[in-house]
Amino acid sequence: MTVVQNDVEQRLRDKEAIRAVDPLELAQKRPEWSASRPMTAVQKIMTLVVFAILIGAACLSPLLTAQGLIALCTVYYVILTFYKFIVIRASVSPTAIVRFSPEDIKAQEPREWPIFTILIPMYKEPEVIKQMLAALKAMDYPDDKKDVQFLLEADDTLTLDAARKLDLPPSFHVREIPDSFPRTKPKACNIGLHLARGKYLVIYDAEDLPEKDQLKKAVMAFEAVPENVACIQSRLNYYNPFQNILTRWFTAEYSAWFDLQLPGLAALNAVIPLGGTSNHFKTDILQRLMGWDAYNVTEDCDLGVRLGRAGYATRMLETTTWEEACSSLPFWIKQRTRWIKGYIQTWFVHMRNPFKLFRDLGAVNFFHYHMLIGGVIFSALANPIFWTMALIWVIFRPEGISQLFPGPIFAMGAGCLFLGNIVFTYVHIVGSCKRQRDSLMWWSLLTPIYWMMMSYSGWRAFIQFFRAPFVWEKTQHGLNKKN
Amino acid sequence: MHDLTSYRRIRLLTGGVIPFVLAAALLAFARWSDPTWETGAQTAGICRELIAGTTEGRQALFGSCWVAPLPVLFYLPFAWLLPEPFAGGGAFLAAWLFVFWCVREALKSADPSGWRIAMVQAALAAWLMLGRNAEIMQVPAALTLGLMMLAAAGLAWWIERRKTRDIVSTAAAAAGLVLCGFPAFAPATLTVVCLPLAALGHRDTRKRFPAWLLLGGLPLVYAFSVWMLMNRLMLGDSLFFLRSLNYLMPEKLTIASPNYGQMFIIALFMPALILLPALILTWWKDSRAKNPGAGAVPAVAAMISLALAVAVYAHIFLVFSIDWPVMLLHATALAILFLTFGRLGRVWWLRIPALAVLAYFGSVWIKPAAVTVTDNRAEICRDVESYVNARTPYGRVFAMGYAGMDLLRGYEGERILPNLDLQLTALRRNYKGQNLYVLVPNPVGVNRAESVFWRYPDIYALGTDRLILRGTFGSWRLFELITAPTQEQLDEWKSP
Repeated sequence: MTVVQNDVEQRLRDKEAIRAVDPLELAQKRPEWSASRPMTAVQKIMTLVVFAILIGAACLSPLLTAQGLIALCTVYYVILTFYKFIVIRASVSPTAIVRFSPEDIKAQEPREWPIFTILIPMYKEPEVIKQMLAALKAMDYPDDKKDVQFLLEADDTLTLDAARKLDLPPSFHVREIPDSFPRTKPKACNIGLHLARGKYLVIYDAEDLPEKDQLKKAVMAFEAVPENVACIQSRLNYYNPFQNILTRWFTAEYSAWFDLQLPGLAALNAVIPLGGTSNHFKTDILQRLMGWDAYNVTEDCDLGVRLGRAGYATRMLETTTWEEACSSLPFWIKQRTRWIKGYIQTWFVHMRNPFKLFRDLGAVNFFHYHMLIGGVIFSALANPIFWTMALIWVIFRPEGISQLFPGPIFAMGAGCLFLGNIVFTYVHIVGSCKRQRDSLMWWSLLTPIYWMMMSYSGWRAFIQFFRAPFVWEKTQHGLNKKN
Repeated sequence: MHDLTSYRRIRLLTGGVIPFVLAAALLAFARWSDPTWETGAQTAGICRELIAGTTEGRQALFGSCWVAPLPVLFYLPFAWLLPEPFAGGGAFLAAWLFVFWCVREALKSADPSGWRIAMVQAALAAWLMLGRNAEIMQVPAALTLGLMMLAAAGLAWWIERRKTRDIVSTAAAAAGLVLCGFPAFAPATLTVVCLPLAALGHRDTRKRFPAWLLLGGLPLVYAFSVWMLMNRLMLGDSLFFLRSLNYLMPEKLTIASPNYGQMFIIALFMPALILLPALILTWWKDSRAKNPGAGAVPAVAAMISLALAVAVYAHIFLVFSIDWPVMLLHATALAILFLTFGRLGRVWWLRIPALAVLAYFGSVWIKPAAVTVTDNRAEICRDVESYVNARTPYGRVFAMGYAGMDLLRGYEGERILPNLDLQLTALRRNYKGQNLYVLVPNPVGVNRAESVFWRYPDIYALGTDRLILRGTFGSWRLFELITAPTQEQLDEWKSP
């Protein structure tokens, strides 16, 4: 009876504490940093002006306008290709990844480990909660130092019920997030951040399986890196790569992104678009930055940029969190749509005042920003246009398309053809090779099909950005088990 | 922290300051030692056409395995943004900066102190000055040298420590090499073939053979495939850029064969055998090692073998009377040997065979370069133009092939046009009513590979159907294409 009473009291206390938290603090106190307004009035006017100029120019001189646009795109492609090359090359630098061997960890003992807050936002995922709990319990970190918070939406009774049936250790909590707009993962995380007790904080997705020594490695990494490092990003990869062709491509892509590109960016001291999970933060810095933007559907990417603007750095840690690759094409498209839409949101948010962004980030990181965030959006939207032109040219050889590529632009386009496609495909192959998943390397040869799917999602995201900017298309997890 | 600072200082010195000083010194030396020397041979003419957006320029970018796309694409931004001679100077500096940077990349893991890197960079520059070879002091040669060094060093590192980064850098360098021209095809292919083979010795890497094959071979295969595709699209023949190989008849036939081209290709595979002992040594050492990686001795042995193989390639070219890539291949072999010396810190006794090979190539290299007579391009263009203008106001002259593009580098007029692939019927059809002339270069050296000579082998000496010799300008010959006059021309002639 007393246990039940204590439990009820605890829940009431939690509810009051949660009610006292403002998860939209960033949007209210620093609206200029939030995607609550997807575009400012100035941005809308500027966009319309650019369109008007383009339409005017197209009416006056359609060929010249088309040539100019194609020239701009081609130059951007060339720069993007070389940029990718440089980033990948930097990934072999000794500063790219913070590494600790099991012996290094053993040498730390005995020691007092700091409290580590672990946030697990979940929505309608009752099927994976047991797996998550088991993974958390298995983590090599003192139980009393794990401050675990399952962040569950109030209307998600299925997951709430499943969570309440679990035998949770005392430092594990289930937080009920009250129903309010926008219903996004960052909003739930903000509540978790306010209730966090840890010196450090990490987010895991519901289906994640982090490596057992990850928390210890993160603490050691924070102690080893310079003071201005506010975030340590773990590498992500998938535990179901061979489920179908989609998971194969997805795994190859993640291997390239987390094992090559992000380490390369870290080595270059670049602003890093964080991965959605397994990013370890210094809690006080995160609280000072007012957590995540609840309106941004890729709040992780946005937070990475905000960390950079505030003068903080991110480093990569040699440890892997295993996730479930989305194996269903409709869900994959929804997920990718959300990611690209979030990148568009992020780009517009930080470009509200480009001069200030330039001052905050510095010239080099300003360049990184436009290559990383802008590059993803640009590639997704522009690729199908150029593929179509290339295809028409190869098949029908119309003179019109040749005219669109005057001298040097043709040469640059040819250069992109020579170099660009192979660089982007090869990066996936190298990523798979480094993960010792050799069969994925051969599937990576079909990556161009995957790019087409990304472009479809990109255009879907572009349209959705104007029509439903805050809609969070949830990725279904647990399909691996169902299959 | 101290180590990192010193690492950055060395990186700045060997990756920036020293390469820049050496590249500038090379440029100054080249200009000083031969006032007629100029950069941009072959490439500048194609860039001119590309910037003008002509079909000839696009075809020329892909149309020959002897004038390959990568050097042209490298030169293009300079030609686009800068006037001559700054474009040539800029491209030259950038290309040699790249070469000296390649030295640093190849040696940085072997020489943390950096002094050996600086020594090799300086030695290479000194050797180039000593050789005073105008052909080597060009952008295509510099790119070939740099990429070959990267490929050779990558292969050696792959053999020594078996890291993914080594196979990737080797594969990328080999793909770049293929795009530098035919002389580099065989060494590039050989290097790539060695990558998966070298991994066969150790039980852990042996089972991943298909992965190494893909990782090592894909860039090269891809580069070659795209080149073929562009030939199909631009010139209607996927293998157009290789056709000249079948027609490069030796001037002094030392090999009697009904099919010269095939013999030549087969001969190019032979030097692969030179690498076999190094591979066997790699397998043996690797099979006894706990972790993958055969160590320094097989790596150095592979580099020396590769240098020898490249030198043998040079000899094969010579035997088959293709003499123009010989000095480039010798220089490449030398550059690999320089790198080998840079890596020999731990394997001192290998200096003896390496030194012997180096001395041999050095003696070849130091031989005085053949004196080449270069045409005065502006004078030839002016004379040809005057000659044609004196005969007809409707004259149109087609300067043939890549040599023609080179001839027209500084030409501002409209009378002379470049023409890559002589098609007499198409010319008559496209320029109906005009008096057409064809300007043919002397078929010596790389000019022998021009498509005009494999379409019309005796054109320079004898002309061909409907082509009548009208004069000789420098080493060029002007032929008039005889066509029936149009009705308009007849009417014009009849009128007073």
